[in-house]
Amino acid sequence: MMDNRSRQQAPAAGDAQGYCQIEIEVTHGFGLHARPSVTFTRLAKSFPCTVEIEVNGSHVWLNGKSIVKIMGARIRRGSILKIRTRGLRAAEAIHALQALVERDFDEEKKHGRSA
Amino acid sequence: MKKRSMAEALEIREIQGVCASPGVAVGIVHLAVEAAADALPPGDSPAADREKLRQAVAAAIAELKALVGRSDEESAGILDFQIEMLLDPVLVEMAEERILAGDGAALGWVAALDHYIAGIEEAPDEQLRARAADVVDIRNRVLGALTGRAPEDFAPGSVFVGKDLQPSLFLAHDWTAGGGIVLFDGSAASHVAMLARSRSVPMIVATGRFEIADGARLLVDANEGRVVIAPEDARIREAKSRMAEAGPAAPPRADGTIETADGVAIRLSAIVNDPLELESIDPSLFAGIGLMRTEFLMTSPADAFNEERHYEIYRQALRWAGDAPVIVRMLDLGGDKTLPGLGARKSESFMGLRGIRLLLARPELARLQARALLRATVHGKLGVLLPMVTVPDELDAMRTIFEEELAALVRRGAQTRMPEIGMMVEVPAAALMLDRFSRSAFFSFGTNDLAQYLAAAARDDRSVAELYDAAAPAVCRLIAEGVALADAMKRPVGICGEMASEPRHIPALLAAGLRHFSVAPNRLADIRSAIGGLCSDGLAAAEKS
Repeated sequence: MMDNRSRQQAPAAGDAQGYCQIEIEVTHGFGLHARPSVTFTRLAKSFPCTVEIEVNGSHVWLNGKSIVKIMGARIRRGSILKIRTRGLRAAEAIHALQALVERDFDEEKKHGRSA
Repeated sequence: MKKRSMAEALEIREIQGVCASPGVAVGIVHLAVEAAADALPPGDSPAADREKLRQAVAAAIAELKALVGRSDEESAGILDFQIEMLLDPVLVEMAEERILAGDGAALGWVAALDHYIAGIEEAPDEQLRARAADVVDIRNRVLGALTGRAPEDFAPGSVFVGKDLQPSLFLAHDWTAGGGIVLFDGSAASHVAMLARSRSVPMIVATGRFEIADGARLLVDANEGRVVIAPEDARIREAKSRMAEAGPAAPPRADGTIETADGVAIRLSAIVNDPLELESIDPSLFAGIGLMRTEFLMTSPADAFNEERHYEIYRQALRWAGDAPVIVRMLDLGGDKTLPGLGARKSESFMGLRGIRLLLARPELARLQARALLRATVHGKLGVLLPMVTVPDELDAMRTIFEEELAALVRRGAQTRMPEIGMMVEVPAAALMLDRFSRSAFFSFGTNDLAQYLAAAARDDRSVAELYDAAAPAVCRLIAEGVALADAMKRPVGICGEMASEPRHIPALLAAGLRHFSVAPNRLADIRSAIGGLCSDGLAAAEKS
């Protein structure tokens, strides 16, 4: 009953040469801001393959291991992220990153108005 | 030119800003020096400058790591973000392009970072814009390491005044001696505002730029969002006494009622956002809980879907209230309040799937909350409040859910009974038609939403804040009509919006016929004294005699 958490609009596509791509919607309340972007890039950096992201069909692929690029991309709730990985452990990386976005970046903080 | 600005500074003694962290502080101004790199000469060669920058970045990372070790978890999270940014080679590469073009290390760094900061400051949402202060922090720390300047700290007990305040500077400063923060720009959503609230440091943001001399005396009356330059002692006493009144020192009657000057009893109930608040509130001061928000109790989707957690919170609240009623509002998600994956807004509007609309669209969540509420009814006098009701069908649909869950619980042998189910009156279409809601056991006006819908002015949009405020008379007229309808139906009616926690609105709300107010616990003393000085028609007792 909770599978509305994120919408995977295309199934993970991959091939034997270690190339994978998925599309996913960011549902975290504040988008990909300070803490979520730290979590995301740290996870991306733990894999040997390249990780690139594209935001809202911009056709600009950014280095998913760069927090500077990710902060500059102004990713917010409702943004559609494409993630692609290439190289060693590409499939594993994409599944781990997808799961992180779906878990809302493991943010356990309070949501909602503070007043 | 200089003379003129001095004269202006003397004239403008009070400046209005926005409260980012409540409280009152008096102190000597510390005027922040804004970092500028233009004066720094370029180095010997681009290669040497590049090396200097890399060393400065490494030094900044080391400083931040040392700071993390001395910080609590929340602060450490903010510093972690800064460390991660500095570890990213992209940042240095941006500066290196400019260094190769002939800028020195310092200028190259500042120019590259300023360009990046400007991009973040243009972001459409405030949460992201607020992160610009962190990048400014990073910029200044590396600049400090490059030029041998330590990041400026300031004397304990002083009031920081500047364009913005960087989180690491806040964390490095000793706040135990008091002091406060006034920012020309800034945002209540920034990291530093969050830190100020958690350490109870009074803070005002968005004052706009004003002239003030370093070393002047300043009153930060953050409760009112006002900065007073060279305050008189009487003004300081006034601000501090307002703060003292807000404490729990008032000697009210022990059942949460107060009489107006002409002897009409007014009931005052508490607004509770968090079960932890109950520990610090004396139940004898209130006629129970008039609004217990539940969306704030749920710290994660896991909690929102945890029936036992719901039940435990309701039971605690009922135990706290004793014989007095506890009105629990069902999850009011959507609009500006969301859980991850729940009530996410597709448009930026408050007019979509929120409140009861969302609950009925996702009935599994409503059923779970209904079960927890039904089970809690045995522990006291529980009422259930439905958010954002627009038409009677919504009320009926939710009543059906309660009836079905009640029957299922009874079949399983659980002790339970049907609670009273009432509705929030916050949609104008419902407020005008209360007589159609004959199955609502009680009504509670939610003025925050009612005002924004009546004025077509979103309450989270600062550019229309004046229109939102100006809706108050229209809200009161609508309340007066609603109270008359509810009285004719012999249904209890009250108010739980923020208007009821503001003394300036109390006369009009009394005049509209309201006799039951739910207020923020820290506003109780103010509201009591406001009501005590008024007659039940809202006119001041002093004017009548």
